[in-house]
Amino acid sequence: MDNAVLIRSARFRQERENDWARLEQIVTAAEKRGVHNLSYDDARDLASLYRQAANSLSVAREISLDKALLQYLEALTARAYLAVYAPQERLGGLVSRFFLKSAPQAMRRSALFVLMGFLAMFLGAVAGYLLFLENPSWYDVFLPADLAGGRGPGASTEYLRSVIYQDEAHSGLGAFASFLFSHNTRIAIFVFGLGIFACAPAFLLTFYNGLIFGAFVALHVERGLGWDIAGWLSIHGVTELSAICIACGGGLKLGSAVLFPGQRLRTEALREEGKDAVKLAIVAAIMLFAAAILEGFGRQLVQDMNTRLIIGWGIGALWLSWFVFVGRENK
Amino acid sequence: MTQKARTKRVVRKSNLRLIEDFMPPEGVPITFETAGLGVRLGAQILDILITFLFVIAIVIMLAIVDLSRGETVMAVGSLLFFFIRIPYYILTELFWNGETLGKRMLKIKVVSADGRSLTPHAVVVRNLTKEAEVFLPIALMFTMPGMDGWGVLASLAWIGACLIGPFFSKKRQRLGDFIAGTYVIHKPVARLLPDLSRATTVQHAERFAFMPHQMDHYGAYELQTLETLLQRDTSKTVTYETRRRNEETMDAIVTRIRRKIDYSDPIEKKDHRDFLKAFYAAQRAHLEQRQLFGDKRDDKYQLAERNKNNGA
Repeated sequence: MDNAVLIRSARFRQERENDWARLEQIVTAAEKRGVHNLSYDDARDLASLYRQAANSLSVAREISLDKALLQYLEALTARAYLAVYAPQERLGGLVSRFFLKSAPQAMRRSALFVLMGFLAMFLGAVAGYLLFLENPSWYDVFLPADLAGGRGPGASTEYLRSVIYQDEAHSGLGAFASFLFSHNTRIAIFVFGLGIFACAPAFLLTFYNGLIFGAFVALHVERGLGWDIAGWLSIHGVTELSAICIACGGGLKLGSAVLFPGQRLRTEALREEGKDAVKLAIVAAIMLFAAAILEGFGRQLVQDMNTRLIIGWGIGALWLSWFVFVGRENK
Repeated sequence: MTQKARTKRVVRKSNLRLIEDFMPPEGVPITFETAGLGVRLGAQILDILITFLFVIAIVIMLAIVDLSRGETVMAVGSLLFFFIRIPYYILTELFWNGETLGKRMLKIKVVSADGRSLTPHAVVVRNLTKEAEVFLPIALMFTMPGMDGWGVLASLAWIGACLIGPFFSKKRQRLGDFIAGTYVIHKPVARLLPDLSRATTVQHAERFAFMPHQMDHYGAYELQTLETLLQRDTSKTVTYETRRRNEETMDAIVTRIRRKIDYSDPIEKKDHRDFLKAFYAAQRAHLEQRQLFGDKRDDKYQLAERNKNNGA
């Protein structure tokens, strides 16, 4: 209206309305096609118009009682904020940064916790081994029947040997799939997740897993199949058991944040330590995935004991060198 | 009495919508409306359907190509579901700025609670914990019938623990949101309504002239309520019924205002709208000017209280 009464806040609004309309147009384009696809002019204007709009909002809150204006500016600023501060990540950059930098760095930062994870597994294995040698009936206590698959103190040596060097009827994809949802993956998930309850469940579960492992090995060593079982286990076990220990390290890291937050709040500590712990969990998941491939395909294809040992420990050495050497920054 | 009426209003306002102040790096607080659990559940269901359809398509393809054994297909299917959904949530939320397809359809969005942009870490964490918080309870519900007493008890405890978080946190955060430092909002809709202070002409402003003391009865809340009412007429979809009801409300309001501010000149019924518009413009100019001088008036109770204290 031409002969309208123009009060101060209306003048304020009139002067800036065009800029806001332009900002809204850019923001709509950014929401639809992403900030990457904006033209040079639009991208440049987005940042400055966003700051102007935020400024206008702050002024309008002080001088204007125009509800229409306040609501519009609030929504517009919020939308522009979301467009300006959208994560600017590329998938390739993200993946390569994880593998080349952040994962090995997180591993080195949490080396102590990971070593504690390995320690838990090792102590469990030694205990399981010794207990079995003392009294074989411990075996049934440790191993759930479905996991043992008929391989117990009652089984004949011939049967044990045949399991180690058999051509399994179902192999490949099916075995691979069934493995992933098997015992050890579940253990790894629990070991990580339960670590948050003050470390103890993670440590105990890993220890228990070690017990199973120790008893299982002891059974075969007693029958003179020590090297054969070492080969059978090594090909995927080096990777798989390490994954469990690393998941345990992540769990212990979470638990230690809850137990010893230091000067921080517990939630704060959990959030900070969680950054590394999550990376450990992802590393463990990748290793379990690799172990599944090895178990699903490698174990059937490679029947020779020495080759099995070499492959298993060679891959273990590769993991170790990834953790130790990759992503070091020169200072 | 006044105190009671005031608290009542505050409660009513906060119950309606979950509003959160949010501080971006520019230092101007923005308000976001937190997404409720219903809409989030809806988005989650949509996402599950989308990923599930995707998996079914792949499984059918596999079944046609080679693997005829049902058992294997099932195993591969459940495995695929696992391997498709984790990247699906992480990648969509990362590249579409906190929106999965389901969230996009329902117009909600994940934001970082600290006012910075969403980090890959936050997105990964909130979606990995989703496995334990959303998918594990669903799986437990399916497997529960086959469990023993303790198993059922433990599952129920876990499901309960997962549900408690969002219900009791102010920003409707689940556990993963807490750890990642994120929460979910409604995407704001920006629509600029006309400036009502300019809807009145000079002639009207002269015809309905107000004295300064007549402007000292109402505060910002009443002014904006009046604005909402007058803006209703400007929207395009006004039915005859709502228009009639608006007229009635307006008549009642004019009577109230006239009594309150002692406006003695008679106003014809057809001029009611122009009167209200003129009153709105005059009242807003007055209140804004007072506010510039540091005299902020939130509502009429504040004014009444102040007058009472000054009188005593």
